[in-house]
Order: sequence, then structure tokens, then C-alpha cells
Amino acid sequence: MLSLRLARGAHPLVLLRRLLVAAAAAGVGFLLLCTLGHAVAHPKEAEGSVVRLLWCVVPLAAVVQFAVAVARTDGTTRPREGMDAVGLGPVALSLLAAVSTALSCAVGSCAALFIYLELRGNLHLTSLGGSATKLLDGGRPLPWAAVLTLLSLLPVLAAAACAIMLRPGERSPEDPRADDTAPAVKAPEPKRTYSGLPWGVAVIATGLALESYASDGSAPPAEALLNLPGRVGGASPGLVGGWLLACFGLCLAGPGLTHWCGVLLSAGRPGPVRLLAGRILQDAAPRLGRPLGVLCAVASGTLAAVELYGAAWAPSGAGPFGPLTGLGAALVMACVTATALTAALDTRQSRTDTVATLLRLGIPTSLLRSAAAVRTCALVAVMAPLTWVVGELAVMPLTR
Amino acid sequence: MVAPPDNDVLWARGLHYAYSGSPALAGVSIGVREGEILAVTGPRGSGKSTLLKCLSGQLLPDPGEVWFNSAPVHTLSRAARERLRRERFGWIGSEPHLLPELTGWENAALPLLARGIGHRAAKRTAGEWLERLDVGDCARKRPKAMHQAQRQRIAIARALAGEPTVVFADEPTAPLHTTDRAQVLRTLTTAARSHQITVVLATLDDESATLADRTVTLTDGRRGGAIPAPESPGGEGRAACSVSA
Repeated sequence: MLSLRLARGAHPLVLLRRLLVAAAAAGVGFLLLCTLGHAVAHPKEAEGSVVRLLWCVVPLAAVVQFAVAVARTDGTTRPREGMDAVGLGPVALSLLAAVSTALSCAVGSCAALFIYLELRGNLHLTSLGGSATKLLDGGRPLPWAAVLTLLSLLPVLAAAACAIMLRPGERSPEDPRADDTAPAVKAPEPKRTYSGLPWGVAVIATGLALESYASDGSAPPAEALLNLPGRVGGASPGLVGGWLLACFGLCLAGPGLTHWCGVLLSAGRPGPVRLLAGRILQDAAPRLGRPLGVLCAVASGTLAAVELYGAAWAPSGAGPFGPLTGLGAALVMACVTATALTAALDTRQSRTDTVATLLRLGIPTSLLRSAAAVRTCALVAVMAPLTWVVGELAVMPLTR
Repeated sequence: MVAPPDNDVLWARGLHYAYSGSPALAGVSIGVREGEILAVTGPRGSGKSTLLKCLSGQLLPDPGEVWFNSAPVHTLSRAARERLRRERFGWIGSEPHLLPELTGWENAALPLLARGIGHRAAKRTAGEWLERLDVGDCARKRPKAMHQAQRQRIAIARALAGEPTVVFADEPTAPLHTTDRAQVLRTLTTAARSHQITVVLATLDDESATLADRTVTLTDGRRGGAIPAPESPGGEGRAACSVSA
């Protein structure tokens, strides 16, 4: 109830983000229900159904990441002095955030169920009723226990991720007065954010090597390349595994890359713009780097898919993807982009004190704006070529 | 408009200010002479911070006039007031408000860099001020790795490094222990006197006010003394206590 009451008074933008989470949850719920429908309708194609279910993990992960990012940005669940005084401290508020996230995901799942049943022709409430009976394998009854299990998967996962990610960690609260009384206290060694960079590079290299090793030196036919939903058999686990590994490496390398972008920006004898831009980027690397890495990974995957299947996407082409694959891909791309934007917003919110200080010193807002522009340009200049290179390298063994 | 007296570097008349309806200043007039240290005392909520913010152009009095070096501040645009704060004023708050992203010397040098002074010169000046304030060893540390007294000294170095005309210090010793308190205040006043910097010092305790040349008392947003003191000589509480005892 408290989370609903807090949500009622929240900023419209916060509500909009929660609504987006619900929409994304609806998309994932719909995909899961489609998988279930396929499994029920084709009991003999168990392998195909399992592969479909496995591919649903990608959008599921993207939505969970988005939900956590939104919960992190939500001001109502951030520890506040007044709330702490009445006993709603950081622990209670992280649980509150988990409940709110579960709530918005559950709303999305319910919407997904409604839309699925309507399109399948079970409800006949609107004019759209039953318009996709064939695609969604209508006509067979759904096992309700399976429906409930699949639909509760996302709310449970998202809530658990929220509770784990937002739980108050070992870090002391950012109170500068905390160490006043203990003059001999040694400030804790800050965790190095860029330690993931070598691992990331190594994993990318391993993934690409595995892919070229598994590709047998010959280009497979397009329809046999990936075991996408609706295509049965023909995929080499080595290929897909290598590709996924390369993407995972990009995610790992994200924070380190962001940090080193900042270091390079403020190298030499920087003026105020470069100094602020670089140092803020270094500071934001732990929060911003991971979502950026994921964004790059998805972008490079998309790039590779376009390279491989670009010709087939033409209106006269064979159309290698069904509408559900399209929905899944769109969901992943939208969620990952939204997560990166939300993380950027989060770092901006965490900088409110910095900005207030700068304005008090009379630093003009134009300087802050140009620092933000320089930051963005530096990130794009590093991340975009990297994404392109990884995407191209991932495709290369397949198009030789 | 009446032109201000010539010997006042900063001069304000009839300052009123209300934070969305709740009045903070109700007709304060004040003049700050060049090179002096002026203490503004008063209990919490008496409008000291608001007065300093109005004088430094962070808040616009409504109504009221602020003149700096015989030029009006209250009619300036926001950009011009920012420029004034950047080039002529320094600000020390009750919290250090350092940028957590920057190291000690970068924090102190930021106003210089923002003025367009070269990197090398800014670094040298900031380093000198840090040495003068006994925090030379914090030059390469991030604020998180420092103690509160060190942070506050860096904030003072940041305010003084640009050698501003006026430094506004809003309870600069509030977060410090007694020993640090006296030392920080003495460093500030000594540095200000040796560099002919005018200081407007808002403070709660009378001890700090003894370092000042002149003291102005604020009560409920008005200059003290305008309101007659309560007539009961012993105070009401004391009388009640003696009865109950």
C-alpha cells in the first residue's frame, strides 16, 4: 500500500518510467505465452520449443536490467532522512523498491495475458479478437499452472534483482561527517572500476576465436545459421556461444572503457571543461559503464544480424524472422537503450550537489553544458568504433 | 536610488526576501567597508544565510537594493551575477561542498580555471594556498579520503585562491570541532587581512565574532537592536524555576 501511495505523488516522469517497465514486462510475458502456446500445440517438436524458451531469456534479462535501473532512479525509494527517522531506512526502502517493481511487472504480465488470450481468440472482447489464432496456435487449451508460472517469472526475478542490487552495501553512507570523530580512520580503498577491462577484452577475443573455430571455414546458409524461434535445427552451439561470449565481453569492458575515456579526457593540462568532463566521467563509470556496455553489445549483435540477413529483409526477401522474433529484438533494443538513458539520468541525479556547488561558485551553466557535450562525444567516439569492430569481427567468419 | 557611501565596498538597503511565502529577511540595510571583517550574528533562522546569499547575488532581494563598488547588483542579469561571483566574490559554506570527482588542488583551482587562467598558473596558485592553509598534503587526494577539517580548509583555499574582493563565509566553522574551529577561523581572518580581502562572516557563536572588526546582529530577519529586549530582567524561565524550587 505504501508503494502505491508513494507512486501516487511521484513525478510524472517516474510514473512514465514505471509504465515503460510494465509495457516491457507485457512484451516478455507475451513472448513467454507464445512459447507455451507453441509447446502445447506441437508436443512433438520439443527441441524447437526449448530453443524458443531459451531465446526468451535475452529479452527477460533486458527487462530485468531495465526494471532495476528504473527502481534505482526512483526518488521515492531512495534513502531519505525523514524516512530513516521513522524506521523506513535503506533496508526497508530497498524492499519497498522491490515490491514496486514486482507490482509494475505483474501489471505488465496481466496485460500480456489479456492481449494474448484476446489475439488468440479466447475472449472476443474487441474487434481484434482472434485475429492471430493461427500464429499463436489457438484452439488448444492452455495449462493454467504453466501460464501462472511463466507469468510470475518476471515479477519474481525483477523483485529479487532489485532487492539484491539496491540493498545497502558495505559502503558507509555518503556522510562526510562520518569520519570526523575518528582522526586516525583510513578511508577505504575505492574499488577499482576498470578491473573488468582486461577480462572484457579477453572474453571478447575468446568469443571471436571460438566463433571462427566453430564456423568450419564455410559460410552456413542463412536459415541454418541461428536457431531462432521458428527455425528448427541447424545451429552450431559454438557459433552462437562465441557470439554471446563476445557480447558478454563488451558488457564486462563497459565500466573500464568509460573510466579510461574519462582519464584520457582529463589528461595533459586540461581546461575547466575537459577537467570536469573527464573527472565526472571517471566518477560515473561504475553506474554508467555497465548499461553502456550492454547497449554496445546489443548494438554489435544487431549490426551483425543486419550484415548477415540484411538482404533477406528486403520486401521481396525470404523474411528470415517471424513477427515474434521481431517483437523480441525490438524489446531487447528498446530496453537496453532505455536502461542506458535511465542510468545517465541516475548519474545526473547523483550529481545534483556537484552542480549546486558549481553554480554557487559562479561557474556558468554553459560551461556545464559543454562539459556534458564533451563527455557524450568522447563516449560515442570510443564506443561506436568498438561496437562496429566487434560486430564486423563476429560476422567475418560467417561471410568469408 | 541613492548612491551608496564611497567607503563601502558592499552596500545593501531595505532587503526583503521570502522563501515561497515564509519571510527570511524583512528590511535589512547593511554596509560593508573595504578590507574589514564584518560578523553577522544571530540565532538559527534569523536570516544570516539569506542575507549573505542576497549580498553575493545568489538570491535577488524582493524588494531591496544591493550595490557593489558603486554599481547595482540587484539589476544585473543572472549571467552577469554569475560572472561577478566568479571573478570578484568568494564563498565558504557551512559544508565544504567540494566536488567529489576532483582532487584537492583541482577543487581549489576550479574558480581560477573557470576564469580562463592557464592550467599551470592555476595549479601553482592553488598549491600555494593549500600550503598556506596547512593542507598541502591533500593536494592529490580526493575529498572522500580527507577529514572534514581538511575539506573545509580546501573550501577556504578555493574561496581565497582567486583573491576576490569580498569573501562570504556562512558559518564556516559549523561542522568542525572546537580546536579546528578556532584554527580555521584564524587562518581565514589572517589570510584575509594580509591580502586586503573584505570578509562577511555569518556566525552563531560570539567567540568567532571577536575576531571581526564590527558585528551586526540579526533577529527574525531584522537588524538587532531595532527590537527592544524583553523587559523581565531575570528571564521568565528563571522566575518559574525559582518558584517551583
